[in-house]
Amino acid sequence: MIPPDQKAFLGRIRQALGHAPHESRNGSHLFMQGPSREELQILERYRQRTAKDREELLEQLMEAAKPVHLCVRRLPDPEAAGAAIAALVQEKAPEPDTVKQVVAWRHGLIDGLDLHLLPEQSAVRVHRTPPLDPLMDPARRHAEREAQRRAIAKAHMGVTAADFCMADTATLVLRARPGQPRSVALLPPVHVAVITLDQILWDMKELFALLRWEARFAAQGLSRYMAFISGPSKTADIEATMVHGAHGPREVHLFVVASAPGRLQYVGQRSTFSALTK
Amino acid sequence: MTQLHPETYREAARKAIGDPVLQKALAGLQARFGRGAAEAYRRLPEGPHLRHTAHEIRERAVAHLDVLLERLAEKIRQNGGHVFFASDATDAVEYCIKVARRHGVRRVVKGKSMVTEEIDLNEKLAAAGIDAVETDLGEYIIQLAGEKPSHIIAPAIHKTRYDIAELFVKNMGIPYTTDPPALTRAARKALREEFLAADMGISGVNMACAETGHITTVSNEGNIRMATTLPRIHMAFMGMERIVGRLDEYEILLRLLCRGAAAQTMATYVSYTAGPRRPEDSDGPEAFHLVVIDNGRSRILADPRFREILYCIRCAACLNVCPVYGKIGGHAYGFAYSGPIGAVVTPLLTGINRARHLCQGETLCGACMEACPVAIDLPRMLLALRETLAYGDAFWKTTPANPLEGLAFKVWSRLTANRRTWECFLKAAALGQRLFPKKGNRLRRLPPPFHGWTRKRDFPSLAPETFLARWRKNEIEVAKDIP
Ligand code: SF4
Repeated sequence: MIPPDQKAFLGRIRQALGHAPHESRNGSHLFMQGPSREELQILERYRQRTAKDREELLEQLMEAAKPVHLCVRRLPDPEAAGAAIAALVQEKAPEPDTVKQVVAWRHGLIDGLDLHLLPEQSAVRVHRTPPLDPLMDPARRHAEREAQRRAIAKAHMGVTAADFCMADTATLVLRARPGQPRSVALLPPVHVAVITLDQILWDMKELFALLRWEARFAAQGLSRYMAFISGPSKTADIEATMVHGAHGPREVHLFVVASAPGRLQYVGQRSTFSALTK
Repeated sequence: MTQLHPETYREAARKAIGDPVLQKALAGLQARFGRGAAEAYRRLPEGPHLRHTAHEIRERAVAHLDVLLERLAEKIRQNGGHVFFASDATDAVEYCIKVARRHGVRRVVKGKSMVTEEIDLNEKLAAAGIDAVETDLGEYIIQLAGEKPSHIIAPAIHKTRYDIAELFVKNMGIPYTTDPPALTRAARKALREEFLAADMGISGVNMACAETGHITTVSNEGNIRMATTLPRIHMAFMGMERIVGRLDEYEILLRLLCRGAAAQTMATYVSYTAGPRRPEDSDGPEAFHLVVIDNGRSRILADPRFREILYCIRCAACLNVCPVYGKIGGHAYGFAYSGPIGAVVTPLLTGINRARHLCQGETLCGACMEACPVAIDLPRMLLALRETLAYGDAFWKTTPANPLEGLAFKVWSRLTANRRTWECFLKAAALGQRLFPKKGNRLRRLPPPFHGWTRKRDFPSLAPETFLARWRKNEIEVAKDIP
């Protein structure tokens, strides 16, 4: 059933374009039925990518990261990434709360960082963001959601993974999934993202080709909500002076660890609730 | 707050030219961004020609708007979102208020959106008892000052840090400081509370993609992500033309948008929204509404002379290079849209006669067309608008702006059509000009109705004898050695 507001509206457009108001126009030629030749080449390049290519991509990423103030570091393994996060936690002053609080996604790679060890080293609270049970009583679910929101709003650091990172523009790509609230990358003044080397892509063309046609990514497509993040939040609204941390994070750190396909990739690829809760 | 009035163009422009602070800010803005966009187009891997590809993409999208919008609406509804098609400003505002009331909304946070300026949403929400807070830092400053934005992407360029310091001290009670980082921090704190307390977030739409069923919003501050993530309800307003068919087409336009708007390769935040959160998601709005707005656009669509203006992606690149905007600033245009885009689209949306000064004020220098990421021929449309004003136009219900002008040109064409009358006229004029004050061989003042021309400059006087007359008397020396 097409609502009346839509019918009249689209009818006006059709008339303006010289068609009958109720004519149903065939639009199939406007959309893709399969990958274009260019996309096929891009997909091929992605599949053939060697370790050396990956290093090149990382180099390009580091170059592009400089002007947007994204701090990229290469680390050997998740353990080292965990240690680097611990060092950052030490270094950064708590804000907006007076106690240091870290909030981290529920995600295979992040789970492997051993962030639960942090409190032992210093007076830091670590919050995790488990997916909500859709079968749970709505009132309880609401309470849990609110609790997560409060924790995220108080944290001085948010730790997330990412689906991809585009080397060309130093852009992190985050798709929505249960257990991975988008505000973790948004509210805390410091955002740390951890990815594996094989998640670095060349550019937006490659990203979109994968999201459209590569089966394991295309299933979720762009998802309900996808975010591109290129460095910290910025503004130049006061006399054109560049200031970081207008609303979102003041600092964004990206830790790139070596790929470990067997252990780390599983969570990123599945999006259903049951796959995420054990 | 000021209401729209494109009719005060001349007066407002004069005031702006006399304002040294604004002049400095405008010059700085144009120096920073003006050439940056063109440079950024040149560095595109495909080269600057990509602008023309983008033009074709927009042309195709606008020619199939009905198909694309239908597809977008279908996809968003499949994801549990709502889509409303508003034929005019009243429809759109009423829908917003209805939804707000149904959900018991009291506080609204807004991301920057020109189309909500166009429909005057803030004032109307306020009248309905709903507070809407602008959250883009520039827009926030403007709102505190009770003004309207003067640039599409840099709304507060006409404010100095001293103005802003005073505003913040008065409104937030912070200690006086003129340090931009400190001022930004104060705004961050105040606005963070607004974000967390708001029931509804309102955003615009930079571009929608029909194939995937997403709307996208672009920002550098992250305020739009906040406004569309934290409140219970997200309502996005979109001019009906802001859509493309496919993801690969979208990709080209996004790259050009970032370059045109701020000479960036990618804005800091680009968000793709396809619907509300699901029950198992930790955050995101529980309800998502998209309001697609016509408000005069289908009329533009129906006229092939002006359809091209619907290809615009509101990047503001044309403002940053326009010599007229660079002097008179955004407020003179008297409506949400300023600069060359405003000079074309405002008359079409609000009435050509009413906003005639806007299209008459531009210089037709063509800089805007070169800066436009989708290569829109703005000068052509400025001329077409002037044509409707010169002769009247039934479709746009314009009446000739100045009937005497037509008469004057008729007389002129008679004068010039005949050698004899023309020579008589020149003789008479050469004699007649002696009556007017002169400086060197220039006239200081012309008689009405031409006196406006000499208010700021002198008019070259006629030589006592014409070239032809001297030629006939063999007074003109011709170089002999012309090969
Ligand atoms: S007319 Fe072109 S340059 Fe001006 S705002 Fe629109 S897209 Fe940008």
